[in-house]
Amino acid sequence: MKKFLGFILLTFFSTSIWAVENRSFGEGAKMDKLIAISKVLASPQKYLGKEITVVGTIVSVCSKRGCWMKLASDKKFQTLRIKVRDGDMVFPFNAKGQTAYATGQLKPIELTKEKAIAYLAHLAEEAKEEFDPTSVTGAMTIYQLSPTGVTIKYSGS
Amino acid sequence: MNHFENIKENDFRSELLTETSNPRKKPNGRIRKMVRSLHRDIGYFCIGMTIVFAVSGLAVNHIDDWNPNYEVTRQSKAISISSELKQSEQLNSILLEQLGLDLKVRAEFWESENRFKLFAEADITVEVDFKNQIAVIESISQRPILSAFNRLHLNEVNRAWVIFSDLFAILLLFLAFSSFFMLKGKNGVFSLKGLWVVAGVIVPAVFIAI
Repeated sequence: MKKFLGFILLTFFSTSIWAVENRSFGEGAKMDKLIAISKVLASPQKYLGKEITVVGTIVSVCSKRGCWMKLASDKKFQTLRIKVRDGDMVFPFNAKGQTAYATGQLKPIELTKEKAIAYLAHLAEEAKEEFDPTSVTGAMTIYQLSPTGVTIKYSGS
Repeated sequence: MNHFENIKENDFRSELLTETSNPRKKPNGRIRKMVRSLHRDIGYFCIGMTIVFAVSGLAVNHIDDWNPNYEVTRQSKAISISSELKQSEQLNSILLEQLGLDLKVRAEFWESENRFKLFAEADITVEVDFKNQIAVIESISQRPILSAFNRLHLNEVNRAWVIFSDLFAILLLFLAFSSFFMLKGKNGVFSLKGLWVVAGVIVPAVFIAI
């Protein structure tokens, strides 16, 4: 009986719950709609309201709720944030460095001048760089992807 | 000694004795017995799920105070990388050597001119600040049992699990409502003991009201 119980527990904890493989969230990503992040961010207005798929290395993930992750662009120093409503998808915190495909719609976030200063100051603080608030001259718009499907391709532990 | 003398009128065993002595059982008694048996067996069945949801509920309730899924350790180390080395193709291997790490690199990312990230196997990330010549080694390990419980609690597994947890919710409702028919008399829900039910309803109601 003890052996049987042990086997059941071993099977339970070693199968779907722990499996490290390609993981899909929501509907999974649609690979036929792939567009480079640099292209999207170069002319975001062109992609608003359209379903697109982006790909990139996961460079950071929300550590608590897994409600967002940042994908590295094909262009140096550039990232795109993938954001879901809390609980809709939970991106694994230990997926950093893996490649993710995300399908969804690009959403603009309008920032007033004050909010833009706060946002850029926060980014500078994160990057431990100096920030000059006077460099912000007016309101700005940032973009993030609201996904319906995400696929993470694991390249090994 | 007469065993019958030790069983008082309101003791549930008195009902069993009545059933034994009287072959024509009252329908109410049969239903109550059936409800009690179902309550007991379903209660046993729900123990596993209750543990999963209760433990995970405690863990997730305090998500702002700690990370219930992962244990994260961060260690800062001084490095010595010149501007020339920064551009070198050997950068990764030199960095790992200086940090005493022997790991296979998964990916790398330049956050800015002076900020660089290396993602290595075993869920290790190295964040490098070239300006201050500091590297932070971040190591992530999954909390084995707790993260599995949390995945189940937050319905991150699959559709079948959602159906099963719906069933669990229905069983909990059965356990709640069947408790009304478990006992009668001075310990029944329609006696003073029913105040416990009222109290249990008032507590969440107060939280909604305030």
